[in-house]
Amino acid sequence: MPISVKMGAVSPTMTTGHIVEWMVKVGDQVKEGDTIADVQTDKAVMPLESFDEGIVAQLLVAVGEEVAVGHDLLLLAVKGEDPKAIAASAGKAAPAVAKAEAKVAPSTNGQESSHAEAPHETVAVSGGRVKSTPLARKIATAEKVNIGEVKGSGPGGRVVRDDVEVFLKAQTSASSSAPPVEKSAPAPARLVVGDEVVKLSRMQTTIAARMTEAKRVAPDIHVTVDIRIDTLVAIRERLNNSLAKEKIKLSVGDFVTKAVAIALRRHPAVNATFDGEMLTRRGEVNVGIAVALPEGLIVPVLKGADALGLREIRTGSEALYEAARKNKLTAAQMNGGTFTISNLGMFGVREFDAILNLPQVGILAVGAAEKRPVVEGDKIVVGTVMTVTLTVDHRVVNGADAAEFLRTLKGLLEEPASMLL
Amino acid sequence: MAVIQYREALRQAMVEEMERDDRVFLMGEEVAEYNGAYKVSQGMLDQFGPRRIIDTPISENGFCGIGIGAAMVGLRPIVEFMTFSFSYVAFDQLVNNAANMRYMSGGQFSVPIVFRGNSGVGGSLGATHSHRPEAFYAHVPGLTVLMPSTPADAKGMLKAAIRSDDPIIFIEHENLLGDKGEVSDDRDFLVPIGKASIVRPGRDVTLITYSRMLKITLAAAEKLAEEGIDAEVIDLRSIRPLDIDTLVTSVSKTHRAVIIEEDWPYCGIGAGISDRIMQKAFDELDAPIRRVTAKDVPVPYSRVLEAAMLPDVGKVVAQVHDVLYR
Repeated sequence: MPISVKMGAVSPTMTTGHIVEWMVKVGDQVKEGDTIADVQTDKAVMPLESFDEGIVAQLLVAVGEEVAVGHDLLLLAVKGEDPKAIAASAGKAAPAVAKAEAKVAPSTNGQESSHAEAPHETVAVSGGRVKSTPLARKIATAEKVNIGEVKGSGPGGRVVRDDVEVFLKAQTSASSSAPPVEKSAPAPARLVVGDEVVKLSRMQTTIAARMTEAKRVAPDIHVTVDIRIDTLVAIRERLNNSLAKEKIKLSVGDFVTKAVAIALRRHPAVNATFDGEMLTRRGEVNVGIAVALPEGLIVPVLKGADALGLREIRTGSEALYEAARKNKLTAAQMNGGTFTISNLGMFGVREFDAILNLPQVGILAVGAAEKRPVVEGDKIVVGTVMTVTLTVDHRVVNGADAAEFLRTLKGLLEEPASMLL
Repeated sequence: MAVIQYREALRQAMVEEMERDDRVFLMGEEVAEYNGAYKVSQGMLDQFGPRRIIDTPISENGFCGIGIGAAMVGLRPIVEFMTFSFSYVAFDQLVNNAANMRYMSGGQFSVPIVFRGNSGVGGSLGATHSHRPEAFYAHVPGLTVLMPSTPADAKGMLKAAIRSDDPIIFIEHENLLGDKGEVSDDRDFLVPIGKASIVRPGRDVTLITYSRMLKITLAAAEKLAEEGIDAEVIDLRSIRPLDIDTLVTSVSKTHRAVIIEEDWPYCGIGAGISDRIMQKAFDELDAPIRRVTAKDVPVPYSRVLEAAMLPDVGKVVAQVHDVLYR
């Protein structure tokens, strides 16, 4: 029996994906762990690895074709099997098509069938083509929708009218605040920049859905604290001087990550995930670090952050940023987060709050480290202060839990040496 | 208006047209002395006498030829086939002579003739007496093919056929002869040739049918209405010429069509209609056009098998679900 390699869930939230590039071709020998394709998920392009060994007999999905998780992608001939024979017996039809035919075939109940037809052969349909009805295409053309981006609900993934209309509705509701485009406005005397309708990327669509979901299901509270970091800034400077020859430069954010990881270890109530029914206090401390990209936002995860030194936090974070920018994050680098940090300090933001990254129960919004007047005893002095805001899911985390976590965090950052304890 | 049977409506049409025009006459097997094998011409011999109500031998090829000759020299014959299954004996007369005479004679001869009789799967009549001949004749340029499904249309369409100056294949249905319905008394009540009828307006799917299958289709539409599916039912009435405009307008509204016919699938009426719709309204379709036809087999004698062979409400509903992706 040939092995059929299926689309894997390489991102935790992915339900469908498409092949960006095949890394193998028919006839190639594939070993376990080999990358067989780059897959575009809802978040990023990820390599898809094979869990099996064999010779590639047939690619069942074309580049760009969106398929569901679990959908067959390619056939591997195992030892002793002839790849060509497998490809021939599998026919040319992609499984999605075969499924559609299976649906049509039994419905000959009343549907015409004729002995005047030649013996039935499976109709070959090329895998890369978007199957759609004429009406769906007509509407898509009129509305300037790329029909390839519309998910088809018909047999074999055929895009039908409803699919295009649902797609359009989703688009218009996303941009409903934009005023309607005037079509026949008289030519203005001055240069007027017209409205631009922006089609959301897959990533942005996912973000939109997840943010809405978080605000819908999770009653969140926000707890803010100021942290004086003069000591931290001084330590950072000394450490960076000694790390200069290694070309490593610690950021204030790295200290925050370190301190957050330690604080999470001490406050398991915040290092948790909640799916609406089950609260799981997570054994690992995996800190997600939000990274802004031109096309959206992504949260790679620094695994086991509580056990990492500042140097490893710096290099680990740097590697994650780099991979995120190049759209090369692996599933392992994106999954398993137990808490998230969002830092806008580099933009000079004083404070803000973040929306939960469900199913995590907490996210920390970090503002800029800036010089502010500080009351010391009965005097006003100048100190370096940073404001952080913790958002927690109040279904499972109380305000007091949040405050205690912040007290710990504040202590660690105001006296960094305590992190050694 | 009076409620009368389909067969009575046919008779009224012939009687009124014979009273109106002395050139009209009826001939066929058993039309006179026996008052018609299906009693369509009952009483007509008494009213019009043997000069105009003429019994023929069992010789379709012969009496069809006589009819065509009579039409060419100025009379307006109605030729009755006991059933249209027997018209195949006269296929050459209908397809070669009647259809082509105007063309072959350079317009010197027209053939104002009506070939009429019942057809269809009548009930245990067996493979050779259960033919649905519409696709054969609708294939031919020069012939007009009409198939009424109600008593009113039976009268209005037959009167229009008799007044036509060209050969008409007028196909009734054996199982409709006893159906009753309101029929106009107006002696000039004509149903225009080439005009389909929207029997039931709807917005979700277009069901296209004709003749007896209209009843199945309307029953299916009722069933679909229970599920909230609003089907538009169109009775073609005229098989050739086809009222494509009405079909395109409907499909442009519903974006899906199912064609229901009692005939076989391959090269059937639905195949031709489906092609025409796709030529004219391809961009309006949101699903492939589906057809519900008789099975592609000789008509069985067994009633059970015969029923299994024919379209029924369940088969129509299934195909409607299919085009609606339900």
